[in-house]
Amino acid sequence: MEQNPRPRTVLETLGEEIIRIVTPVSICMLSVVILVSILNGDPSSGGDLPVTTMATIAYSESSSDSTWDKLKGALLNSLVFVAVVTVVTFLLVLLFYLRCTKFLKYYMGFSAFLVLGFMGGEIALLLIQDFSFPVDCITFAILLFNFTVVGVLAVFMSKMAIFVTQAYLVVIGMLVAYWFTLLPEWTTWVLLVAMALYDLAAVLLPGGPLRLLVELAMSRDEDIPALVYEARPVINDSGPSGGVVRRRVWREGGDTDDNQGLSANTRSGLASDSTPGTHLSVGIGEHERNLADAEEGRVPGGDSELTTPLIQHINVRMNSSENAVPSENLALEGIGLGSSGAIKLGLGDFIFYSVLVGRAAMYDFMTVYACYLAIIAGLGVTLMLLAFYRKALPALPVSIMLGSQDMMNCCQLYDVLLLFWCFLSFSSRHVRQSNQHDYRVGISRWEAYNRVC
Amino acid sequence: MDNESGTDRYPSPAAARVLPTAATSDETSSSRRRLGRAEWPTVDGPLGLSHDDSLEHARRFFKLGFLCLPFLWAVNCFYFWPVLRHPNSHDSHPDLRRYLVGSAIGFLLFAAILSSWALTFAIGGEHLFGHVWNELVMYNVAEKYGLTGWI
Repeated sequence: MEQNPRPRTVLETLGEEIIRIVTPVSICMLSVVILVSILNGDPSSGGDLPVTTMATIAYSESSSDSTWDKLKGALLNSLVFVAVVTVVTFLLVLLFYLRCTKFLKYYMGFSAFLVLGFMGGEIALLLIQDFSFPVDCITFAILLFNFTVVGVLAVFMSKMAIFVTQAYLVVIGMLVAYWFTLLPEWTTWVLLVAMALYDLAAVLLPGGPLRLLVELAMSRDEDIPALVYEARPVINDSGPSGGVVRRRVWREGGDTDDNQGLSANTRSGLASDSTPGTHLSVGIGEHERNLADAEEGRVPGGDSELTTPLIQHINVRMNSSENAVPSENLALEGIGLGSSGAIKLGLGDFIFYSVLVGRAAMYDFMTVYACYLAIIAGLGVTLMLLAFYRKALPALPVSIMLGSQDMMNCCQLYDVLLLFWCFLSFSSRHVRQSNQHDYRVGISRWEAYNRVC
Repeated sequence: MDNESGTDRYPSPAAARVLPTAATSDETSSSRRRLGRAEWPTVDGPLGLSHDDSLEHARRFFKLGFLCLPFLWAVNCFYFWPVLRHPNSHDSHPDLRRYLVGSAIGFLLFAAILSSWALTFAIGGEHLFGHVWNELVMYNVAEKYGLTGWI
């Protein structure tokens, strides 16, 4: 047992937190790629979706239309989709304002049930049919029932094994992303770009619904009922031991806005309309200081600008004309920080990154690899921007832009970014050593506070 | 020693002196480990439930598992794994361990029954069941009722 454990520096904890976010995103993307490559490999497939969903209500693409027609139709579809998502997001804000959180939570559980039960069941059936797996209906029913119910509980209950909750959120993201890859090709691409733009607007504009939602939640110090993936927080050795670590702390002000916990559980359900707005708010490595501040009850004033976590709002509603399984799911994504500095990433991010990569999987695997690197680079860039600006930023635009450009074979851009990213990670090792001194100063100051209290 | 050297985390020859604060904390943690005490009842550690809440949680999951939900029992055992691992823990309620052992037994029993049935069905095939096999197997059931037509 070491007597003098080496302190964990800012960059070490930051690196670990980034890894804890990048890993589930990668797992989700990988599973969608596998699903897509097993179940449908044709790039132009999905044009004959048997169900009229919200995303194709304006125009159903068929392969015989001209390029211009397809583009117009895709634009129309995306506009309708974004409009519906905006409306539902404002509805969510209204409901949250009227304190109908119980209703929202039940709705979340219901949409998780639909996604896991119906979507999961159908995809499992497709896989069984593909491989002619000799499983009988009783076993299948029991397994599906178990899987669904435990998933609903994981989403519903706040105190469940973290690993189980995280796994189920990734599975939900994967299922919805696979469903989105079934949309017609042009609609998918234009929809991705439209959602990225909506994300920008909803998060950064003062009247944006997501910004309103987060400000409401922060002023009331409540959790937003939305589906958000929360990475396991990095527990520092030097932090206060004993006592249960609080998962959420709201902070105002721009200086110590690091510990913003947006524990939003969003329901992401099947829907053609989804408005992702992702915010990233990362407080790098100042969680120790913030914990001290929180214990002292000190709220740093000064800058009254609220650092709002990235939230992506996804409203998914499937209106099928043939079978009435409507599911309205509000998917709220956001990247924020818990009270111990954990990064939270909204489920819409998972979904749209996976949709991009899943679409790429319909072409060939080099495209998949390139898009994956572009998305991870975009995520890293967004995290860095978040660290610099310390306010909510939309996480979709950068990744979608890079990924789409990759698709159009602008390989030089992502190569440059990748080099930049590698350079940063190598240089961070040198920065780490020079930060030792600052770290020690911070710790001794915290201990001074502790003694005073 | 004073606190200043206590915060000195660079290993140096001068730090060979045993510092009182560091030593006592080391002793307590290692002694706890030797006694096999589970400091935290859940596998999440400080992020999970406290000892008081975990009894209620374990009881609820145990009872819900009887609704043909053995996966809940499995999750229960996974979540409270430290309590299962350290049987002579003095911190946790004695009932907690009873619920966990019950969940573990229930899950293993159910898994044994279900897997034996599934394996018999898969391996036996039509030789064993006759044409009932074709009616029970999932892909035929899905085709008969058109279950995959929703996507």
